[in-house]
Amino acid sequence: MTYYHQEITRIEKICYSNKRHLETVIGIRHYINNNFDKELSLCLLSNIKFTSKFHLLRLFKRYYGQTPKQYHIDRRIQQAKLLLSKGTTVTETCYDLGFDSPSSFSTLFKSRVGITPTEFQKRATFTKSL
Amino acid sequence: MKVKVISIPVLDQEKALQFYTEKLGFVKKIDLPVGGGNRWLTVVSKDEQDGPEILLEPAPNHFEPAKVYQKALFDAGIPWTQFNVDDTQQEYERMLNLGVEFSVTPTEMGTVKVAVFNDNCGNNIQLVQML
Repeated sequence: MTYYHQEITRIEKICYSNKRHLETVIGIRHYINNNFDKELSLCLLSNIKFTSKFHLLRLFKRYYGQTPKQYHIDRRIQQAKLLLSKGTTVTETCYDLGFDSPSSFSTLFKSRVGITPTEFQKRATFTKSL
Repeated sequence: MKVKVISIPVLDQEKALQFYTEKLGFVKKIDLPVGGGNRWLTVVSKDEQDGPEILLEPAPNHFEPAKVYQKALFDAGIPWTQFNVDDTQQEYERMLNLGVEFSVTPTEMGTVKVAVFNDNCGNNIQLVQML
């Protein structure tokens, strides 16, 4: 066994011994992955795992390093990039992913990706055509 | 500022290119001669060809401290970097069939499942699946 293997085994025991916590956060992450096109409040997510919303918030941040809301947004943006690359229009992408309006979607997309969905789609199409 | 290129030191650029494209499935992006038989050689993920590039750089052959550092990490089994996959077990089996050697077989570690393989160019590389 390498030094690295020994270290990850040691750290696993220290940081990840609470299997119930792990089951909760992994379950919530899967739920977000399967429902990212829906409005997901902390209240709803905590009810799914019969825990308090503040406890869930703390757990998720501890094990994934970001809040459920941040993760939810990341998943939506990731999916938006995929749809836009495949040629889905900006408006369709917006509503497919559960955003309220194309303008709020574009604003969020630009803040995360650095360019607007329209510009992203243009570049994706251009790259494909090369 | 943007993350455009990350580098991985390799002992043999041609051998590295073959491994990273044929066994890992990356795609060659830039291949530019820079003198002395060296190349500015980058590969990208097949699914994100506009994403960050991996520079397969020949530093260990030209700068002794780089060689010493790379070897120390390798001997300790420490990964130089890591790549994300959807399913570590599946990727492990696929690569095993291609003759890739693993020092850590798929192992759950909290919210991730990892495995570590030898890239045959002086590095350990970690696969990571988010659980």
